[in-house]
Amino acid sequence: MIDLSNLNPKGEDLASLSADNTALEIKNLNLYYGDKQALYNVSMKIPKGKVTAFIGPSGCGKSTLLRCINRMNDLVDLCKVDGNIELQGINIYDKSVDVASLRRRIGMVFQRPNPFPKSIYENVVYGLRLQGINDRRTLDEACESSLRGAALWNEVKDRLHDNAFGLSGGQQQRLVIARAIAIGPEVLLLDEPTSALDPISTLTIEELITELKQKFTVVIVTHNMQQAARVSDQTAFMYMGKLIEYSDTNTLFTTPKQKQTEDYITGRYG
Amino acid sequence: MENLNLSRHISGQFNNELENVRNQVMQMGGLIEQQLMDALSAMAENDIELARKVIIKDNEVNQFETTVDQDCSRIIAKRQPAASDLRLILTIMKTVTELERVGDSVTSIAKMVIENHGQKVPSLIGLENMGQIVSKMLHNALDAFTRLDLHAAIAVHNEDKKVNRQYESILRELMTFMMEDPRSVPFVLKVLASARSIERIGDRCQNICEQIVYLVKGVDVRHATEEEINALIN
Repeated sequence: MIDLSNLNPKGEDLASLSADNTALEIKNLNLYYGDKQALYNVSMKIPKGKVTAFIGPSGCGKSTLLRCINRMNDLVDLCKVDGNIELQGINIYDKSVDVASLRRRIGMVFQRPNPFPKSIYENVVYGLRLQGINDRRTLDEACESSLRGAALWNEVKDRLHDNAFGLSGGQQQRLVIARAIAIGPEVLLLDEPTSALDPISTLTIEELITELKQKFTVVIVTHNMQQAARVSDQTAFMYMGKLIEYSDTNTLFTTPKQKQTEDYITGRYG
Repeated sequence: MENLNLSRHISGQFNNELENVRNQVMQMGGLIEQQLMDALSAMAENDIELARKVIIKDNEVNQFETTVDQDCSRIIAKRQPAASDLRLILTIMKTVTELERVGDSVTSIAKMVIENHGQKVPSLIGLENMGQIVSKMLHNALDAFTRLDLHAAIAVHNEDKKVNRQYESILRELMTFMMEDPRSVPFVLKVLASARSIERIGDRCQNICEQIVYLVKGVDVRHATEEEINALIN
């Protein structure tokens, strides 16, 4: 058999990703809500400094998997997780791991923008204040660089002390991203970050995501397949709690290997 | 990947749109096949009326190309096709371009028939044979497209060798003819151009088959060797 990779160069092999290039490694992850199993033996490596998208139909477990990455599922009663998620070689489910400090390293942005009822400035520096940082100059610098990082600075620089609720939906979502990046996380989890936004705001956030990966590892859950195709470097397709296919985005959207993936991304009956 | 079922989309409208462009390619293919047969027949029988008809009908071929391209761009804009749907649209767009160029080659043959009418030109039997081979290649390539048949596409792809050999032999024959009778050079050059046109149709059929391989297998074999392509079915 010929080596098709010579004819069709593909991205880096995700299974053999080196430790240096791996931000997160999920190993044999199973998750149960009471008696019901929601994730089945999921194993994957998430590369550093790249955008990884989780796609799949509703209820396939993609948001559940995302929430496992910063232990949001700890807040759900009856939820039991077994398997490992390693952040730089350390299992985040290890008893010695402090969840609050884990969430400083792995930030999260949700579907609906959720700014606090405070000024724009106070929203951005909220995490820093919680860490006990109150030095005005440090906070000012962090506020500006985070708002610039979230592509919002130019729009709000003259009204930093206005209430955040005065911003549009798209601006509020970028403010929430600025708040998440202000504390300098390594990984940013985005759970359908544009599903409540109009097309223009969506494009602004997508543009921002490609900029964010220069500094952070981004993991995004999206219902919008074209969005996954546009913004991600690799895509994981999940179905009924199982990871069906995980490969670089270009391959997955042009020549998927699994029929279930093909049927889903082409909008066919499964 | 070879699980190509081009219908079964949740959107029945999308099914219809894809089916419609596929049907148009088949109709266009049928028209070109007929055009090629008519041009070869006009050449064999020195029938300038038939040759004229072929030239006029090329407009229909061109019309097909623009219509299919418009429909494909509309589908891309509205449906954002992915995976096999995307490969189908890309294959169709490239195939109609190839078919339109086959149409141009057919027109060149018809023009040669008119321009060389009544002139002393060498026997065209070799040319007719080559014409029959490419005519069959075109038929089989279109058949492979209709049935998404990888084996048939690769078989047609391999046929092009025969055409190339025949072309070289015709080339030698015509050069000898020109050396023997230099006054015939202007007319023989037109015959030579026709031989080249027929040889190019073989290449176009090969290109169409490469697109079929891409559609069915998801592998780009445009610059692959014959051994590499044959390995896909072994």
